[in-house]
Amino acid sequence: MKVKIIITICASLVVLVLGIALGSVNIPPGEIFAIIRYRLTGTEFTETVNNSTAIVWNLRLPRALLAFIAGGALSVSGAVMQSVLRNPLASSFTLGVSSGASLGAGIVILLGITIPVAAMFTLPVLGFAFGIGTIFLVIGFASKVDSQMDNNTIILTGMVFSLFVNAITTLMSALARQNLQQLILWQMGSFSMRGWEAIYILAPAVVAGVIFITHFNRELDIMTFGEEQAKTMGVNLKRVKWTLLILSAALTGGAIAFVGVIGFVDLVAPHIVRRIFGSSHRYVIPLSALFGGAFMVICDLVARTIIAPRDLPVGAVTAFLGTPFFAYIYFSKRAKKAQVR
Amino acid sequence: MLTLKNVSVGYTGADVVKNITLSVEQNENLSIIGPNGCGKTTLLKAVANLLPFKGDIEISGKPVHEMSHREVSLKIALLSQLSGIYFSYSVFDTVMMGRYLHIKDKFLGLPSDEDRESVMKTLEVMDLSKEKDRSITTLSGGQLQRVFLARTLVQEPEIILLDEPTNHLDLKYQIELIDFLKKWAQSGNRTVIGVLHDINLAMKLSDNILVMKDGEIQVHGKVNAVINDSLLRQVYDIDVARYMRESLKIWEELRS
Repeated sequence: MKVKIIITICASLVVLVLGIALGSVNIPPGEIFAIIRYRLTGTEFTETVNNSTAIVWNLRLPRALLAFIAGGALSVSGAVMQSVLRNPLASSFTLGVSSGASLGAGIVILLGITIPVAAMFTLPVLGFAFGIGTIFLVIGFASKVDSQMDNNTIILTGMVFSLFVNAITTLMSALARQNLQQLILWQMGSFSMRGWEAIYILAPAVVAGVIFITHFNRELDIMTFGEEQAKTMGVNLKRVKWTLLILSAALTGGAIAFVGVIGFVDLVAPHIVRRIFGSSHRYVIPLSALFGGAFMVICDLVARTIIAPRDLPVGAVTAFLGTPFFAYIYFSKRAKKAQVR
Repeated sequence: MLTLKNVSVGYTGADVVKNITLSVEQNENLSIIGPNGCGKTTLLKAVANLLPFKGDIEISGKPVHEMSHREVSLKIALLSQLSGIYFSYSVFDTVMMGRYLHIKDKFLGLPSDEDRESVMKTLEVMDLSKEKDRSITTLSGGQLQRVFLARTLVQEPEIILLDEPTNHLDLKYQIELIDFLKKWAQSGNRTVIGVLHDINLAMKLSDNILVMKDGEIQVHGKVNAVINDSLLRQVYDIDVARYMRESLKIWEELRS
């Protein structure tokens, strides 16, 4: 297990460096490290390196880091939702976070609303607020109609609210068409030109969220066996469930508020991690963050280089790359098991 | 130790368990039998504080509804009927989950040597030592049932509630399980309450038996004093004694 973890950490770092190094101009890793050292410590470097500083520091490093952080946040959120709701297909998207965030983005983009104090962060702030607001409504409603907060009630309520909120966004889009293209582009997801500000806000929040969720690893393990079992083993189910659902929605809401709606990684990354490292959440949570982050950096690299200088929507690339990879990991292991039997 | 006073439990308004009053002492084993749908499992779930109930349930004189999740789980453990498994864990990790309330490392939940020892000992008793690293998704129904029982035992409760614990077990393990549970209860002044379908196993497990029908107690008392032909016929609507006699006759024929 230790070897696997070390390989994953090293591979994630290599992917991150590749995400910065490759592009219209390829930059050697040595130069990247020199630029980072210079920006952090002021160490001098050669003229050739100086030419790449703006590309690395202003464009590629923040972009790759943002992709890594967002991918990690979405994957951890997916892992939590799947275990808490005991449903391998569950995600924050099932509970309406992306629909809520889209509505928030729609209000900002289509109606041109700006929050005076938040200014350039109006879209992320409203996207996050609407995403989290939707999940509060879903869980609040579910706990009202079913005091035991059964998983099926939560999922069904989430889907109903999600469809309802989507309908509002669609209606708004139909009535205010002037910025519709901008909304559609936001919904496709992108890491382009988000700058360091997004990272300053998102990185500490995501790191804290992942650590806090890892703290609940035993509860998550127990909850995968069902709510009854969890209660009889002493888990304070209602409190733990509320906390984890809100935390996981906050991770998704925070990520998509900055980068737009990017699906698939939250569904697939945790399953691949479970296949490789087993189901214990002590490993699944931090490794989903690493794996999802690295996967997102690769997807973004493909999205920005494959038909450069144009960017492809990252959300589409995650599905294009993820599906065959997921099928390979999932079914090759099954085939091996079948052979053993 | 466990007292139920006028306990009724229901789903969507209708009571499935009606007005049960019962007392189970420390060191006592109680079997609950009765036809399908008579409320046996519902009663167990109410005792484990999993379902809302009317009336009073007290453990060692303290009302269950006044106790925290933690307090109840340290006193009572429930082994439910098997349900779907969605994720793969090793046998060792699955049993270790039963130590949830005992593990002292509250941040990452890393088990101590004492926790590991408790799990290993229980795996040995359950004849699962060799399987400790196997994934539970590859186990047979019987092995899985023993894994979950091991997990319930490492919880170290004072009262253990078992909902059809011999399901999925072959004859050898059924008998060994009942013998083990009797010893386990005697060795630590603990109480076992088991819902069983097999009347023979129920009589082997327990000192006392509770017979339920339509959510109500038909009879509660010493096995020898209460079990008889007419009671079983009345509860199950079938001549159980005749069936048993026929089985014995076949057995005798086979032996001769």
